[in-house]
Amino acid sequence: MSLTIALAAVLAIAAIAGWLGFARASRLRGTTRLHSLPVYHAAYAAMWAALPALLFLALWSPVQSRFVDQSVLASPEGRVLPTFEMQRQSILSEAREIASGQRDAGFNPESTTLVPRFAEAENRFATIGGGIAILFALAGAVFSLRRSAPGFRARTGVERWVMALLVAASLIATLTTLGILLSLMFESLRFFKLVPVTEFVFGTQWSPQMALRADQAGSSGAFGSIPLFWGTVFIGAIIAMIVAIPLGLMSAIYLTQYAHPRVRSWMKPILEILAGIPTVVYGYFAALTVAPHVRDFGIAIGVSSASSESALAAGLVMGIMIIPFISSMADDSIAAVPQAMRDGSLAMGATKSETIRKVVLPAALPGVVGGVLLAVSRAIGETMIVVMAAGLAANMTANPFASVTTVTTQIVQLLTGDQEFDSAKTLAAFALGLALFLITLVLNLIALTVVRRYREAYE
Amino acid sequence: MSSVAHPQRTGASNDARLRKRYAAERRFHFAGLFAVGLSALFLVFLLSNMAWKGLGGFTHYEAAMPIDFARSDLMLDPATLKGPDASEVVAGADVEGLLSKSAGAAFGPDAAEMFGAAAQRSVGRQLIRDPGLLGRRAKLWLPVGSKVDVAAKQGGDGAIQQLVHQLRAKNALRRTVNIDFLTESDATDPSAVGIWGALKGTFLTIMVTMLLAFPIGVLSAVYLEEFARRNRWTDAIEVSINNLAAVPSIIFGLLGLAVFLNFMDLPRSAPLVGGLTLALMTMPVIVIAGRNAITSVPPSIRDAALGVGASKMQVVFHHVLPLALPGILTGTIIGMARALGETAPLLMIGMRAFIAAPPSGLTNPATVLPVQIFLWSDEVDRGFVEKTSAAIIVLLLFMLLMNGLAIYLRNRFEQRW
Amino acid sequence: MKEKMPLNATTPMPMPSAAIAAEATRAGPSTTEANDLPPEPQVALPDEGPAPTPEPEPGRTPKMRAQGVSVFYGDKQALKDVSIDIHEDRVTAFIGPSGCGKSTFLRTLNRMNDTIPSAKVTGHIELDGEDINSADMDVVQLRARVGMVFQKPNPFPKSIFENVAYGPRIHGLGNSKAELEQIVEKSLKRAGLWEEVKDRLGESGISLSGGQQQRLCIARAIAVDPEVILMDEPCSALDPIATAKIEELIHELRGRYAIAIVTHNMQQAARVSQRTAFFHLGEMIESGKTSEIFTNPTQKRTQDYITGRYG
Repeated sequence: MSLTIALAAVLAIAAIAGWLGFARASRLRGTTRLHSLPVYHAAYAAMWAALPALLFLALWSPVQSRFVDQSVLASPEGRVLPTFEMQRQSILSEAREIASGQRDAGFNPESTTLVPRFAEAENRFATIGGGIAILFALAGAVFSLRRSAPGFRARTGVERWVMALLVAASLIATLTTLGILLSLMFESLRFFKLVPVTEFVFGTQWSPQMALRADQAGSSGAFGSIPLFWGTVFIGAIIAMIVAIPLGLMSAIYLTQYAHPRVRSWMKPILEILAGIPTVVYGYFAALTVAPHVRDFGIAIGVSSASSESALAAGLVMGIMIIPFISSMADDSIAAVPQAMRDGSLAMGATKSETIRKVVLPAALPGVVGGVLLAVSRAIGETMIVVMAAGLAANMTANPFASVTTVTTQIVQLLTGDQEFDSAKTLAAFALGLALFLITLVLNLIALTVVRRYREAYE
Repeated sequence: MSSVAHPQRTGASNDARLRKRYAAERRFHFAGLFAVGLSALFLVFLLSNMAWKGLGGFTHYEAAMPIDFARSDLMLDPATLKGPDASEVVAGADVEGLLSKSAGAAFGPDAAEMFGAAAQRSVGRQLIRDPGLLGRRAKLWLPVGSKVDVAAKQGGDGAIQQLVHQLRAKNALRRTVNIDFLTESDATDPSAVGIWGALKGTFLTIMVTMLLAFPIGVLSAVYLEEFARRNRWTDAIEVSINNLAAVPSIIFGLLGLAVFLNFMDLPRSAPLVGGLTLALMTMPVIVIAGRNAITSVPPSIRDAALGVGASKMQVVFHHVLPLALPGILTGTIIGMARALGETAPLLMIGMRAFIAAPPSGLTNPATVLPVQIFLWSDEVDRGFVEKTSAAIIVLLLFMLLMNGLAIYLRNRFEQRW
Repeated sequence: MKEKMPLNATTPMPMPSAAIAAEATRAGPSTTEANDLPPEPQVALPDEGPAPTPEPEPGRTPKMRAQGVSVFYGDKQALKDVSIDIHEDRVTAFIGPSGCGKSTFLRTLNRMNDTIPSAKVTGHIELDGEDINSADMDVVQLRARVGMVFQKPNPFPKSIFENVAYGPRIHGLGNSKAELEQIVEKSLKRAGLWEEVKDRLGESGISLSGGQQQRLCIARAIAVDPEVILMDEPCSALDPIATAKIEELIHELRGRYAIAIVTHNMQQAARVSQRTAFFHLGEMIESGKTSEIFTNPTQKRTQDYITGRYG
C-alpha cells in the first residue's frame, strides 16, 4: 500500500508546486509584463512535478511484483518450495493474497510461512519505488519553479507537455494492435513448439484433450483447426449472411427509397436497438427459444440427427444480430449515390425499383460489399451466440441441423475451467486467437479500403 | 411528330409490358416492407419473449409459516443477536433444519423441502430485527424454495403441485416483489440469487473503462485530427485504430489474459483488469467518434480564434473541443453501452467465477451482469430460467437508458454547420 | 436536394453565335474533346437563326400547355401561376436570374418534382391535350415521352453502350441485341457522339469528358424516342467549346422534338431558341418570340434583366 502513499505524495507535491508557481508569477506580474498567464506558470510547475513521477510509478508497479516474487523465492523459506512450477505459483499467489489481506488463510501450509517474507519484500520495494517517485516529483518541482521569470514562456512549456500527452494517447492505439499481435504470436510460438504448424493449419481432427499421464492411451490430443474454421464459416459467413444480407439490404433500400420520412425516423432507431442488444442476450435467446424449435423442425422434416445445438439456430440468430449492421452500411452507401444519377434514370421513365436495381445498387455496390465484408468479420469473431447455442463437437458437415463448433467457442472452452498455463490445450487458444485476428484483420483492411475508395469516388 | 410516330407506346403489348413493370415495382416495394417489418418483428418478439419469461423473476411467492422458536433447537442467545456479529451467529445456527421440521409439521412430509436459502436468509434477518422471536411461536411469511416458486407460477407436477394447492387453500401463499433480487448476489439456490453483486462489479468495471478510454480516446482523436502531420506513421495509427474497432472482442480478452494477468500479474477476476481490457476495446470507438465530431467543427471557428492570437493548443482546447464535445459524448456513451453488454473478453480474464459477495474494491474478484446472465443460463435448475431473463431485462434497461441518452444528446446538442 | 453549380464559371462571354461557332471549329481540333469531329461542319446556323422561323398559326394546338402552375416546397411557394405553351418544332428557352423558378417549372413538365417529398404542384399541364397530373397518366410513360437532360452531366456508372441502352431496355424498345445496337448507334449519331466513341462503347460513361458526358446524356434521353426534351441548363457545367457543340446539337434536334431549355445565359437563349419565357421571383413575367423578347420586351423587368441591370 506504500505505493498509494507515494502516489498521494506526488500529487500533493504537484499541487504545492502549482500553487507556488502561480503565486510567484502573480507577484512578478505586479511589476512587469509576463509572457504567459500565471495559470500557465502553475500548470507548468505542476506538470513537471507530477508527470515524470507518475510515469515512473506506472512503470515501476508491474516491475515491483516481479522483484518481490524473486526476493521471496530467494529467501530461506522460498528456497524450500516445491520445484513443480504450478504448485509453486499457486503457493506464491496464495501467500501474496494473504499478505495483502485479500484472503484469511491459505490452502497450502507453506504459504503461511511466506507471508511475512512477502510483507517485508513488498514493503522494501514499495519504499524504494515510492522514494524514487517522490524524488522525481521534487526535482521536477524545483526545476520548473526556478525557471519562473517574466519572460519565461510557460505556456509553450505546458503546451509541449500537452503535446507529449496527445502523442502518447494516440500511440496507445498502435501499441494495442502491436500488443495483440505480439502476445498472440508469443504464445502461439510456444504452442507450435508442441504441435507442428502443419497439423494445426491442415489437420482435420480437433480433440484438444491432452493425456494426463504420458502412458495414457488414446488421448494424445489432436489440433487440426480446419473443422473449427469450417464451423465458423458455416455459421457466420454462410447461414448468418443468408439471413442478414437480403433482409439488411432490403431494409436499407426500403428505408432510404420508399419509406415516408416519419416511418424512417422511427424505424432506424428500432433497427439500432437490434444492434445494441448485448450478444449474451442473443445467445440466450438462441439457446433457449430458437434451438429447440429448429431441432423439432429438423426432426419433423426427417433429419433424424437434428441437434439441439444446431448450426442453424446459432446462424439464424447471428443473422438477426447482423441485420442492422448491414442495413446501416448499405444505407450509407446508397445515400452516397448522387441524386443526379437517380434523377437521370427516373427522368427516362424508369420505375423506382428499376432505378434502384439497375442504377443505384450497381453504383453503391462497392460500399455494400465493403459493409458485407465487415459484417462477415464481425460474425466470425462473434463469441457469445456460438458459445451458448452452438456445440462443442468439431464436425465437418454441411447439414445445418447438425452441431458444429467454432473458433471462438473453442477459445472460450480451452481457456475456462482448469487452466494449466503451459499445456498445449491452453496455448492452442492463443494460436486460434492469432488465426482469428489475422483473418479478421485481412477482412477489415479490404473492407475499409473498399469503403473508403467508394466514398471518395462520390465526394 | 405526335404520338402516332411512337407506336410502341400504345397497344396491347405495351400495356402488358407496363403492367409487368408495375407488378415488379410492387413486388420490390413489398420485399422492402417485408424486410423492415420482419426485422422489427424480430425485435418485438425478442423483447416480449424476454419480458414474458423474465418479469416473473422480479416477484416471488411467500408462504406463511408457523414456527415455534421457543421449542426449537437453534441454541441462539438473544444477547448475541444484538452484537455486531449477529449475522455470523445466525448463519451458524441450524435454521435449515428448523424450517424443514416446521414445514413438515405444518404441510405434511412433502413440504419438508419447500424452503431454500432465501427463506433461511429471511428467518435470520427477522431474528436479528426482533430477537424476542426466539422465545415464542410466530407465523412468518417466508419466500418459498425455487421448485415451489416455479410450480406456483407456471404449474408443476405431482407432489409439488399438490403442495401449492394446499398452501393456496390454506391462504398461506402470496406473491410479493422480490427485493432480494436487486439487493443480493449470486447463490447456488435460485430462490436466493440477486444481481447486486454483478451490478456493482459492472459499475466498477465500467468506471475503470470510462476513466481510461475517454481521456485517452479524446486526446488521441485531437492529436490525429488537429496536430498529426500526414505521413506513414499517422497513416499506420489511423489504419490500426479503424481496424481495432472491428477486431473481435474475444481477442481483447486474450490480450488482457496475456498482458494484464500473465505478464503484469494483476489479480484475476478483478474489475480493474476487466476495465482495462474493455478500455482497450472501447477506445477506438471513442477515437473514431471524436475525430468525426472534430472534423465537423468548421474551419472558420479555428481561423477566428487564430486570428485573435490564440495558440494552436488554445484554439483546440478552448474552441474546437467544446464544440465537438456533444458528438464525442454521444460516441462515448455508445461505446460504453457496448462495453456494458460485453461478455466474451471478461470470460477470458476469469470474471466467470462464482462470486457470492459483492466486490468491495477494484482488485476483488467480481463478475458483471452479462457474465452473470451467461453463468445462470448454464444452470440446469429450472428456477434459473426466470432469474436469467429477469437479469436480461435489467441489462436491456441499462442499454436502453444509455442509448436513449446518446440519442437525446445527439438531438439536443449536436449542431449542424 | 439539387446541387447548385457555380454560375457563370464556364459560360462563354457574350459574343455573336456565328463567332462562337467559328471559335469552336477553329479551336476544336486542338482540344482533347473534339479530336474526332465529324467532317461535315454544322453551319446551318444562318438560315435556322432565331428570327426567321414563323410564329405558328394561333389555332394550332401546342405540344404541351401549362396553365396556372404553382409549385410549393413545404410552405414556400417557388412558382406562382405560370401559363405557357411549348410547341413542336420549336426550342423554347426559359431565362431569368438564378432561383427564379425556371428549373422548378421545367421539372413539373415531366413530374420530376414527384421525387421531392415536400414539393406540391397545382395547376394544369397538358401533353397532347392529356392532363399529365391526372390519375390516368402514367408517370413512367410520361417521362418516356418527355425526356430530360440535367444541369450536371449524370451518366450512370456503366459502359457507354449500357448508358444509352438502359432506356430502351426498361421500356422494351429493342427486342433483340441487334435492334438495341441499332438504337444505340442511331442515338449516339444524333447526339453527335458516335464518331468519338464508336470504338470504345464498352468503356465507362464516366471516363468521358464533361461535354461528351452531356452529349451521352442527350443520347440517352433520345434513345427512348421522346416527344419532348427538357434541358435544365445543359451547358452550365461545360466549357465554351463543349457548349457550342451542345448548341449545334440542339439546332439539329429541333426538327424532331419539342425542346424546352432552361438557361441563365441570355446569349445562349438568343442563339438556340425561337421562343423565350422570362421568369423572375417565381413568376413568369413575359413570353413570346425570342426575337421580340430580346429586342422589344413589353415588361420593364424583362428589359432590365436583358440589358444587364440585374441577374
